[in-house]
Amino acid sequence: MKFLALTTAAAFAVVSFGAQAHGPTRKKVEETVEINAAPDKVWAVISNFQDMSWLPPVAKTEGKGGNEIKATRTLTLKDGATVDEELYKYSAEKMSYSYRITKVDVKTLPVNDYSSTIKVEDAGGKTKVSWDGAFYRGYMNNDPPPELNDEASQKAVRGLYRTGLDALKAKVEKSGS
Amino acid sequence: MSRSGTIATRRKGRPLAGPLRLANVVLMTAWLGVVPACADEALVTAQGANALAIVDLEAGSVVGQVAIDGAPAGIALSPDRRRAYVTRPEAPGIAVVDLAARTVTATLALPGGPLGIAVNPKSGAVYVADWYGSRIFVVSPDGATLETEIQVGASPSGIAVTPDGATILVANREGDSVSIVDAAKAMEVAKIPVGRHPFGITLDAAGARAYTANVTSNDVSVIDVAARSELGRVTTGERPYVIALAGPRGFVTDQYSGTVTVFNLQSLTNVAAIEVGDHPEGIAATRDGQSLVVANWGSNTLSLIDAQTLKVTREIPVPDGPRAFGDFLR
Repeated sequence: MKFLALTTAAAFAVVSFGAQAHGPTRKKVEETVEINAAPDKVWAVISNFQDMSWLPPVAKTEGKGGNEIKATRTLTLKDGATVDEELYKYSAEKMSYSYRITKVDVKTLPVNDYSSTIKVEDAGGKTKVSWDGAFYRGYMNNDPPPELNDEASQKAVRGLYRTGLDALKAKVEKSGS
Repeated sequence: MSRSGTIATRRKGRPLAGPLRLANVVLMTAWLGVVPACADEALVTAQGANALAIVDLEAGSVVGQVAIDGAPAGIALSPDRRRAYVTRPEAPGIAVVDLAARTVTATLALPGGPLGIAVNPKSGAVYVADWYGSRIFVVSPDGATLETEIQVGASPSGIAVTPDGATILVANREGDSVSIVDAAKAMEVAKIPVGRHPFGITLDAAGARAYTANVTSNDVSVIDVAARSELGRVTTGERPYVIALAGPRGFVTDQYSGTVTVFNLQSLTNVAAIEVGDHPEGIAATRDGQSLVVANWGSNTLSLIDAQTLKVTREIPVPDGPRAFGDFLR
């Protein structure tokens, strides 16, 4: 399993960020969900950077540094693929945190230079959760193959957020508020 | 000193040495301080919206939009400030915009990945960096003809031109260097090593010092242009992108931190970090040197910063994906 089920099997190198060129246009994606529960209840589920268990493809979260800036985590997906991430902003008060991917195989998620923010807000007694990401496509140079082009990377990230937010909603609403 | 950006100013500069240069800068700033503030216009490349947004900074609103396809990113202005040249990395090519008529008057297809752009303040020649290659294109002042290309370092991004039009400086992102190019000979004459992955490059009004934002070493390299050497480094926030100069200070957008790092141009020390929007990119000083304008790519806003108090004084909504990479104020 991948974060998404789009890319074809092919041998792509593991990407190490910051060492290569990338396409000139960064993309952004935002998905939101409204949850019928109080914001602090929703925040309680997602606020621990060391616990990504609410995201369906994730089998295991291991990391260090808690919720401190520069805390790291490695997500192990159900198929064994891993994603390394680092926290760079965290505010319990604003119920928001931001992190970046420091290492991922483009077969798992076809992105480069990926950063993301998840944010919980009050929406008149309910809760709005926004998850946004900024990234370059999976292929760092001109003329990308279709599975690593802008559309594929945006579709993958959008799909990931949708899956995560819908699962979060189901989990919170099922547990009762 | 009041105008910064990725190309040189229109103001005439003469090369000065050492302390004299700084004295000159201070005097110029003081003199500019008494000039009444003019209503500046921000010309914001909105990459997601495929448009050039024209923002009245006094009114605090978008007053016009010019549709430009190809994910517009870089911008430069003609010496008379009447025309804008916009890079379209996904076209790929450039567009020429008549700013009074607010229409695209010409487009030119270019190979590779045109991103950074600057204009020679004397000849009006347009320089376009090929992000995917190791060259800059030289385009005629009317934007209609690709005249030649000049080999530089890998993944050229920001370009700056000295006020006398004689020297082009290019930040080579993958090359970790700045190319010094003789404009008349259309030839690189030196390569100066800088920090890791320099992106934006900004010259002071005299063309004496250049500053590069080194994206992955999280610092600014300060270059003595005449000596062709790096004078020093300033630590920034994460992923510094572009630098503007106003008065005695430099201002650097930190893409990942969502801040503008402020540093002292003389001591080269980092003095403050100002919270702005998400993924700030382009930054420039207004004509009067009193404000900095920051394009926040992630939050689709401009942040205006008071150059004295270092506070954000205004947020202006703009169309999706503002980059404003280049000389975007007039």
